[in-house]
Amino acid sequence: MMRNNLLTLASVGLAILALYLLTTSEGSSGLLSALTLIFIWGIAAVSLNLINGQLGILSLGHHGFMLIGGYVTALLMLPAKERRPFRTRLLSDWARDHLDLDKWLRGLGLDFIANSVDLKFIIALFIAGLAAALLGLLVGAPSLRLKGDYLAIVTFGMGEILRLLPNTREVAAFTNGPLGLKGIPGNAGTIWWTFFALLFVLWFFSRLKFSSYGRAFEGIREDEIAAEAMGVNLAYHKILAFTISAFFAGVSGGLYASYLQSVDTQTFNFFVTFFLLVAISLGGLGSITGAMIGTAVVVLVRVYGGFLEMPYPAWVSYLSGALIMLSAFAFSAYIRKARRLRPIIETKHYIFGAIGLALLLVAIIFHNEPWMTQTVQFFGMRKMLLAVILILIMIYRREGIMGRAEFSWKMIFGPREDIPTDEQRKQDAWLSNPELNPGLEEGGDDNASA
Amino acid sequence: MPLLELRNLYKAFGGLQAISNVSLTVEEGEIISIIGPNGAGKSTLFNLITGVYRPDRGDIIFEGERINGLTPDQVTKKGIARTFQNLRLFTHLTVLENILIPQHHRLKSSWLAAVLRTPAYRRQEEEMRKIALEKLSFFGPRLMSFRLHQPVYVLSYANRRRTEMARAMATGAKLLLLDEPSAGMNPKETKEITQIIRRFRDEGGYTIVLVEHKMNLVGEISDRVVVLDYGEKIAEGDYKDVVNDPKVIEAYLGRREE
Repeated sequence: MMRNNLLTLASVGLAILALYLLTTSEGSSGLLSALTLIFIWGIAAVSLNLINGQLGILSLGHHGFMLIGGYVTALLMLPAKERRPFRTRLLSDWARDHLDLDKWLRGLGLDFIANSVDLKFIIALFIAGLAAALLGLLVGAPSLRLKGDYLAIVTFGMGEILRLLPNTREVAAFTNGPLGLKGIPGNAGTIWWTFFALLFVLWFFSRLKFSSYGRAFEGIREDEIAAEAMGVNLAYHKILAFTISAFFAGVSGGLYASYLQSVDTQTFNFFVTFFLLVAISLGGLGSITGAMIGTAVVVLVRVYGGFLEMPYPAWVSYLSGALIMLSAFAFSAYIRKARRLRPIIETKHYIFGAIGLALLLVAIIFHNEPWMTQTVQFFGMRKMLLAVILILIMIYRREGIMGRAEFSWKMIFGPREDIPTDEQRKQDAWLSNPELNPGLEEGGDDNASA
Repeated sequence: MPLLELRNLYKAFGGLQAISNVSLTVEEGEIISIIGPNGAGKSTLFNLITGVYRPDRGDIIFEGERINGLTPDQVTKKGIARTFQNLRLFTHLTVLENILIPQHHRLKSSWLAAVLRTPAYRRQEEEMRKIALEKLSFFGPRLMSFRLHQPVYVLSYANRRRTEMARAMATGAKLLLLDEPSAGMNPKETKEITQIIRRFRDEGGYTIVLVEHKMNLVGEISDRVVVLDYGEKIAEGDYKDVVNDPKVIEAYLGRREE
C-alpha cells in the first residue's frame, strides 16, 4: 500500500518535471498543445466512460453538456468590453448587468478573487459544471427510464436541443447567436490548468470506481434485474452517474472554450460525442486508463497525422500500399501463432502477399514513368486511419486496448491475488478430489479443512 | 405472527391466469418447498413476492407489513432475497465484488463520502468485507482464498450457484427464495447443497422457500411442501402426504382413462 502510494506520487512528480522541462524548452509548442488537447478531451472521455462504460448505458448527448459548460464559462469570464456585441433586448440588458462574476464576487467582498483571473476561472469552471449537472439531472430523470437504443436516441435528441439552445431568439440575446462568443481569457492555454484538472478528475473517478457506489454502477451494467433484486436502487444510481458525468463534461467544455478563447454552437457538435465514443471504445469501455489511452490515440492521430494528407509522388502510395499488404500477410501468420493454431498460412492470406508483391514490383519497374512521378494527395486520411484502427481493434481485441482492467502498480509488481499460490493450488486439489477428501463422499462437509 | 403471509393472490397475463387464489403462510425458521409441473406458476409466485410483478388482487404481508407494490430493491431492503433459476451473477466482476454489491443498500455514506473515503465509509467497507467472507464460509474454503478475486466467468457452474446463494444472503435478508438451487448439479453436489441449505436455517437462522424439481432434495429437507398446478394451490403439507395425494399425482402424471 505504502509502496504503491509512493510510486504514484513519484510518477506524478516525474510528469510535472517533464511538463516543466517541456514548457521551458523551445520548439515544443506543438507537443504542448497536443497534450493540452489530450488532457481536455481526456476529462470528457473519462466522464463519458462513467455512463457508457461503467453504468453500461449508451448516452449520445455528451456534447450538449460540454457546450453548456463552455458557454457558462465563457459568459462568466468574458471581460466587460467583450460584452458589447450583445444585442439590446430585455434579456441581454439583464445579462449585461447581472451575469457578471466580477460583480458577484465584489458584492460578496471577495475582491482578491475577482482581481485574479485564475481564481475566477476555477469558480467559473465549477459553476459551469454545476449548470451542466443541473441540466443532466433534468434530462436524465425522465429519460433514464428507457433502455438501450431508445435511451441513446433520447439522449442524442436532448444533446442536440442543448446545443442549439444558444441560437434561439431569446437566449441568443446574450449568447450572441450563431456568431458565438470571442475573447474568452485563455487560461486553459497553459498546460498546468488542464494537467491539474485531469489529475483531479482521474483521482475522483478512480476513487468513485473502487467504492461501493462504483460497484453498484458495474452491477447495473452486468445485470440490471439482478442488481435491482440485490437492493440497488436503479433510478437513483443511474441519475447519480448521469449527473456526475454531466458535471465533468461541463468542466471539460469550459476548459476547451478557454483553450480556444472562443465558443459557438459548432465547437461542440455531434462529432465531439462521436470522437469521445471512438476514444473510449478504443481504450476499452469501462476502463479509466483505457479512456485516457484511447483519447491519446485519437488526438495524436488528429494532431500528428497531417503528414498523411500531404501531396506525395504516386510511387510513394504504391510503396506504402505494398508495405501495408505485406505486413498484413506477415500479421496473419503471426496471429495464428499467437492463437496457438497450426503454423500454416491459409491460402486466402497469400492474396495479401501477392497484392503486396505486385504493388512493390509496379512501384520499382515504373518508377520513372510520368504517371508514377506526378503528385497525388489524399484528404481525410487521418479519419480513415482512425477508422482502420477502430476496425482492427474490434476484430482482434473487441473489448478495447485495456478491456475493463485498470492500470495499477499491482499489475506490474504484484502480488496477483487471483492466481493461486502453490499452497492454495494444493488445497484446492485436495478439496475437489474425492480420494484425498473422503468427507466429500459422505455429503461434502468441507469445513474439515478449515 | 408468520414471517411471510400471502393472502388470496391473483395474477393474470392477458388471458392466462398465472396465479389464482394462492394463500400461504411461512413461519420463521421453516424450509418450504414449492413444487409443481412446468408452467404451474412457481416462478411467477417468486416474482410476485419479490416485487418484479404486482399482484392483481390479494396481499403480500412480510413481518406484518404489506409489501405488494414495492419495487424489487425495496422488497430486498425489507429482508427478502432471491436467487435466479438461470444464474444472474455479475459475470465480469469478481466473487468478492458480487458479494459486496448486495450490501450496498445498507451503506449510510453518501457518494461524496465514498469518494473522499471518510473514516465512517472505511469502517462500513471493512464491515461489508467481513460479512462477505462470513457468508462465503458457508461453502467451506473453496471460494475463499484466490477465488475471491477471480471474475465469476472463470468459476465452475456449481461454484457460481454457491456464489449466487452467498450473494442473496449478503443482502441481510431473513427470508431466502431459492429458485431451483440444485439445477445443473450432479448427485454429489446436490447432496452437498441439501446439507448447506439446512445449515442456512440451522446456523444462519434463515427462513427458506425453494422451488425445486429434484424430489429427493425436496423430500429430505422440507418441513412443508406446497404444490401448484395451473396457478392454483392443489396441496400443502408433509412431503409424504403430498406425494401420495391423488390430485398431485394427477397433476404430474395425468388421469387414468377409465
